[in-house]
Order: sequence, then C-alpha cells, then structure tokens
Amino acid sequence: MRNLFLFFRKHYFYFLFLLLEVISLSLFFNYNEFQGSTLYTLSNSIFGSINATFNNVSEYFSLRKTNKVLVEELAKLHSRLPEAYYKADTNCYYIHDTLVKLEYTYISAKVISNSTNKRNNFLMINKGKIHGIQNHMGVVIGNKIVGQVVSVSRHFSWVMSLLNKDSRISGKFKKNNQLVNVEWNGGNYRKGQVKEIPKHVVIKEGDTIITSGNSDIFPEGILIGTMSDFTVAPDENFNYGRILFSTDFNSIGYVEVVVDLMRKEKEELKASFKSQ
Amino acid sequence: MTSRTVLLNIVRFVFLIFFQVLILNHINLGGYINPFFYIYFILLLPFSSPKWFLLISSFILGLGIDLFTNTPGLNAAACVVMAFARPFTIRIISSGPESLIGDTPSLKNQGLKWFLYYSITLILIHHATLFYLEIFRFTEFFATFLRVLLSSAFTLLLVMISEYLFYPKEE
Repeated sequence: MRNLFLFFRKHYFYFLFLLLEVISLSLFFNYNEFQGSTLYTLSNSIFGSINATFNNVSEYFSLRKTNKVLVEELAKLHSRLPEAYYKADTNCYYIHDTLVKLEYTYISAKVISNSTNKRNNFLMINKGKIHGIQNHMGVVIGNKIVGQVVSVSRHFSWVMSLLNKDSRISGKFKKNNQLVNVEWNGGNYRKGQVKEIPKHVVIKEGDTIITSGNSDIFPEGILIGTMSDFTVAPDENFNYGRILFSTDFNSIGYVEVVVDLMRKEKEELKASFKSQ
Repeated sequence: MTSRTVLLNIVRFVFLIFFQVLILNHINLGGYINPFFYIYFILLLPFSSPKWFLLISSFILGLGIDLFTNTPGLNAAACVVMAFARPFTIRIISSGPESLIGDTPSLKNQGLKWFLYYSITLILIHHATLFYLEIFRFTEFFATFLRVLLSSAFTLLLVMISEYLFYPKEE
C-alpha cells in the first residue's frame, strides 16, 4: 500500500495531467452535441458487436425455455389459420375489403443486452436501421409491453425499457377504459406505479391495465399489467396504486418491434394542425 | 517565486483572457487563421513554478476561455496538453538546467533560437489539439492541418511582437 502511494507521489505529474485531461474531455463530450453524439454512436456500435458475440454463447443456456415458448406461440398461431376454422359454407368468395387495411407489422428481434437493476434500464436488440427499425417505435413481447426504441444504429437498436425513470406509458383499465399513466420509480422490477386514477373509478386488485392507444408508440390493447395495490389519496385529485407488470423483464429473450405503417400519415396530420 | 511575479502572472492571466475573448476571437482572417494568444500565459510561466501549478493554472485558463466561447472543455483540454508537454519540451531544448538564464522563459533571457523552438513546439501542440478535437473526424484532415499551421504562425507572430514590446532584460 505504501509503495502504491510512493508510486503516485513520484509520478504525480502524469496522474494530475490524466485527471485534468479526463475532466476537460468529459466536459467537452458532455456539452458539445456533435462530439458527444459521435462518441456515443461509436461506442454503441462497438458495444453492440461485443454484446452480440457474448450473447451468442449465453443464449445456449436458455434454449430449452425459448423452445417451449416458441412451440406454444406456434400452436396459438396455427389455431388462427383459416384451415383451423370449420367451413360452414363450401362456396368461397374473395371480397376486396378496403375497410380493413394493415396498420401494424412486427419485426422480431433478439435481446442481446438487458438490465433490470439500475435506475434507468435499457435493452439492446440485434436489429437496426437496415432492418427497418426507427426511433420511437414500440417494443413488445407477444402482447405484453417492453419499451420503446430511443436510438438506432445500422445493426442494433437501443430500447428504453419500461423500467426507466423517463418511461411513461399511457394506459387504460380494460374493464372501463379509464385512462391512467404507468411509471416506474425504481426498486422492484416486477412492480410499477399507476398514477392519476380518477377518483370516481372503482378499482379492484387484479384489474388489467392495457395500453390506451393514445400514444403513437404502442397500438391499443398491449398488456401492461394488473393492479396489485391501490391507495385512496383523500387530499389529492387522483388516486394512485401499484401495478404488477405482466412482462418479466429479467427473462426477455426475443421481442417484437411494432412498426406503425400509418405513422407518417399521423405525424403529418399533427404537423399540419400545428402549422395552421 | 516572488510576490511580484505572482501578481504579474495574475494580471497577465486576466488580461490575456479578456484580450483573447473580446478582440481576437472575432478575428477570422481568410477563414483559416484563428489566433489563440492567451497561451502566451503558459509560455511565460516561470521555470521555478511547480509542475502541478503549471497543469492547474492552464486548466483554469482554458476553462476561463471556454466560459466565454461556449465550448466547454475544448480549450481546457488543449491547454492541459500543452502544459503537460512544457517541461518535457524545455528539457529537450535546453542543454541542461544550468544553461537557462534567469527564471523566465522569455526572449531576452534565453535567446532567440531557444525561444523560437520553445514557442513553436508548444504553440503547435496546443493548436493541433484544439483544432482536431473541435472537428473530431478524419474527413477534413488536411484542411485542419492547414488551419493549425496558419493559426500557429499568427499566434507566434503575436507572441514575438509582445516579447519585443514588453519585456526588458530581467535579472
């Protein structure tokens, strides 16, 4: 220990230089947008490829569970195919139906890095710009919510998980369509906070909360979770409670990115109002 | 260091920051020449100043300039690199600590040749760090190189003029 101190004292000039240079450079990269973002994209692409390699090895350990989930999903989808339905009428008519137009498609992606123990948690997925992912797309797993894309590089995307202090999802109660906001205040990764429950709404434990469709990011009906406790706040305008997330963020392997095919139209509509 | 030199250095520090920020930062000849005269302060710090003082005062100098130019950390980083290189440069240029006359690395004390080597090296290091950090990519490598050379030449010119004008031979 003493030798360590002596070493530092002898070469203090170099260490002081390193310290001051690191301080200047961190100030520099933090407050100058161009350099900061260049460094960020550079480190993201390096980080992404390292993580993808590492993940290739670690995914072998969860193959059995992934297999089981996939087989179940397959069975569920099989049952939706037209062949599974009993044809009551042997005459088939093809109707060109413009009432129903495809609005959402899903891009499947693998999660190559995840965290649930920090205050702000993010995931990295292995699809990026060249696969059609763009910023602010929602990410789901089956019909359960995961988060939204906040940054995209060529081959990878950075997703802000629901377990993040900046994450705020507009949800509604499935039974009566009342709008609420869902956030996460840190702590237990299975539970989040529901804010702004109107006072006149009757809540029971186990009530399902789904996405309201009011945001541009998630389609309506994605499962967020179920109410686990509920507090009446007598001197505020809204009640609040806790929600048990239906998504287990610790065991996410494959996710789907929601592509809103009509997003451009929706954004142009909003922009045209603003410019009026 | 006598209290006179300390006071002199403080005055120099403040004056150079203001001169740089108020006058020189608005000079932009031909788009390539941006003089950074404030590094004269680092050039003129006495030989007997402890090394930590060199680093910390250049850091504060750079930070002071950055405050006014809204580029946090850019000048500070370049000044710290220059201060780091200073003792090394002095050791290389002089033939030994005995050959240095007096305490100040000024033109009158050390001679033209020594002073030229000393200031050109340090000015080039500072300007190179500054311009390359600012642009932060490789695509305009040679244009930036030209900027480094031209701005260094102009800064050197300003330094030389100040040396002849302001400093008579000291102890």
